[in-house]
Amino acid sequence: MSSLFGTMSVALRSLLAQQGAMGVTANNIANANTPGYSREVAIMEESPPTLMGNTMVGTGVTMEKVESVRDNILNLRIDQETSQQSSLGSYLTSMNQVQALFNETQGAGLQTDLSNFFNSFQSLTTDPTSSSLRQATITAGQDLAGAFSQTSQNLATIQQGLDQSVVQTVQQVNQLTAQVADLNQQIQTVSNAGQNPGSLEDQRDQVLKTLSGLIDTAVVYSDDGTATVTTTNGTLLASGNQSDALTTQLDSATGMNQVLAQGTDITSTIAGGQLQGFINARDEGIPSAQTSLDNLAASLISAVNQQQNAGYDMTGTTGAKGADFFTPFTPSVAGSNAGAAAAMAVAITDPDQIAASSDGTKGDNGNATALAGLQDKAIVSGQTAGSYYSNLIDQVGNTVSNSTSEQEAIGLVLQQLTNQQSAVSGVSLDEEATNLIGYQRAYEAAARVISTVDELVSTTINMFTPSS
Amino acid sequence: MGIRVNPDIYSLVLSGLQTNSQQENQALQQVSTGQKLNSISDDPAAAASIVTLRMESSSDTQYLQNITTLTGSLQTAGSALSSVVEALTSAQTLGVEGATATTNTENRQALAQEVQGLQQQILGLANATYNGQYLFSGTATTTQPYVADASAASGVTYNGNENTNSVEISDGQAMPTSLPGSQLFSNSTTNVFQSLQDLYTALTNNGDVASATTEVQNALNYVSTQQTFYGNSVDRLNNAQTFLTQEQTQLTQTESSALDVDMAKAITDLSQGVTTQQALLAAGAKISQLNLFSYLPSS
Repeated sequence: MSSLFGTMSVALRSLLAQQGAMGVTANNIANANTPGYSREVAIMEESPPTLMGNTMVGTGVTMEKVESVRDNILNLRIDQETSQQSSLGSYLTSMNQVQALFNETQGAGLQTDLSNFFNSFQSLTTDPTSSSLRQATITAGQDLAGAFSQTSQNLATIQQGLDQSVVQTVQQVNQLTAQVADLNQQIQTVSNAGQNPGSLEDQRDQVLKTLSGLIDTAVVYSDDGTATVTTTNGTLLASGNQSDALTTQLDSATGMNQVLAQGTDITSTIAGGQLQGFINARDEGIPSAQTSLDNLAASLISAVNQQQNAGYDMTGTTGAKGADFFTPFTPSVAGSNAGAAAAMAVAITDPDQIAASSDGTKGDNGNATALAGLQDKAIVSGQTAGSYYSNLIDQVGNTVSNSTSEQEAIGLVLQQLTNQQSAVSGVSLDEEATNLIGYQRAYEAAARVISTVDELVSTTINMFTPSS
Repeated sequence: MGIRVNPDIYSLVLSGLQTNSQQENQALQQVSTGQKLNSISDDPAAAASIVTLRMESSSDTQYLQNITTLTGSLQTAGSALSSVVEALTSAQTLGVEGATATTNTENRQALAQEVQGLQQQILGLANATYNGQYLFSGTATTTQPYVADASAASGVTYNGNENTNSVEISDGQAMPTSLPGSQLFSNSTTNVFQSLQDLYTALTNNGDVASATTEVQNALNYVSTQQTFYGNSVDRLNNAQTFLTQEQTQLTQTESSALDVDMAKAITDLSQGVTTQQALLAAGAKISQLNLFSYLPSS
């Protein structure tokens, strides 16, 4: 048999437990709209029973602990997809700038200048000695060379900007991994003290999510609550209370920054996050467009010069062998056309220097016809200048459109996963209201028990009051 | 208890609204620009084909311009040649008159003067120019083809060459711009200038006017046949012009179907987007008002 005061203390425990649980509910309600908040549940446990004579008697309830409801596996998958989406996102932002340079649908790009250039020779065939038509040919050549050079420089500017973004992103990665290490330590301290590190873990989840947007991450949780963060290729970023900062270093060969971990170049192993997107655009997307542009420029320069050299100009009384129309391109690396577009320029200034004649006769248009005919000749990689350029458009457009589709697909997956995560960890106000009513009723009932016991105690005390 | 569902319905409504507004934006851009392609990634293959189409169309525009220039020059050459034929006809008439027995020496001298006048006229016509370029000097268009030369048997020297310039009037189709004077006015058996010179000499010297007249007649026949080149060329240019104009229309249509938006579809997409947005907003507003707290007594 339990005593009256024993009953009262059971009721008191209940009051405290229900109060604590209501505190948890209040916290959930307060954080219903906090991003990254994982709902908490009050874990109630039966207090250990005591032996009274031969009977085990319950001693009520205690709020054992507060637990955050989270699914770490789900969080990891979300981080992975976030990583891929950010990678595509930053790649697309960069490549959209690239495709704007070639946006033929809005009249940007090289097609008009290419056509005008060949047409100017075609026009010259109708009146090969006309100085105004000759001047028009030089102007068309200057426009074409200017367009190539400007486009090439714009590509280089975008590339430089991306290199800066790589450096900045690495700095952000370092700040975040330092935060992870810091939070690891706090979580360990709180856990060791037997407290719920839920809000700290929520914070760390948020930091890890931001981090996975910057670089691909793999996270392993230890029993002591700390998280070890590496890239998916195994480069250590943070472990326990230590973070390993990445560094950047200018590569003199490319003029671009490499990403280093402990002195080792890991640039090509980065497999996600906006860092990968920037690196892909910087090291693949833009160089690919730049190479095509350079090949086209180098082929045009050499084909036009060769044909110009084969004819005769209108200088002097007899005309001379044609001089180079464009400044000849000298590769800095044998076999590479790198820099051809950027350096493209018209070499001749005197309209009389255009070699329209094929035999030296002023008025002959044979070589002008041949120069105009270069438009239909396979002068670059077995293709005409026009079809090579149209392939370049196709290639740049496809890069962007494929990445866009991929990004949309990952967006759907991510939405699905976030929905699942929210289903596990999100605060439901209906659920909290139900819990609140439950705790409130239990509190009221426990209070009633106390007042009932109080009445009983007072009855007992009154038994000893002398009657008046 | 069933599966816990995502209590954050706002996020679902929000992502729905975002997806929808992306589609709306695209439709709006299409309607406002009138183009379904606004960047090359919208349809890379179509964007690439637009480059090819525009290059072809631009070439056609240039060919049409070539044809206009060429038509002017061929017509000028053709009419110069007609005038040569007229002048030769007059010379032949003069020769026939000079060959009759009733014509006396004095009259023959007068006829010879007239023939000399025609010689001058034909020399001028043979040196005709278009845009400052000599039409009948072969490819040496800056050189005057015929110069009066008393020491030459025909009375003139030809300073042009035997070559011809050609100009492209459509893909792979080239056309000679003119014929050299050496071919137009003479061949192995006949020579316009020689025949006139012979007629002049015969009339002046009371020589064999009849055979000189036959010579002029032969020259006249020869030049007349050469004239057909110019007539035929202008016909060919007209045909090419018709073809190019049709091809350009075709190219423009193809480009338009690759580039231009189907306005009815874009506007339908846009209004569908607006309807979806309204539905999502209405649904969002309704759902968000409901939770258990609304039904709890406030006191």
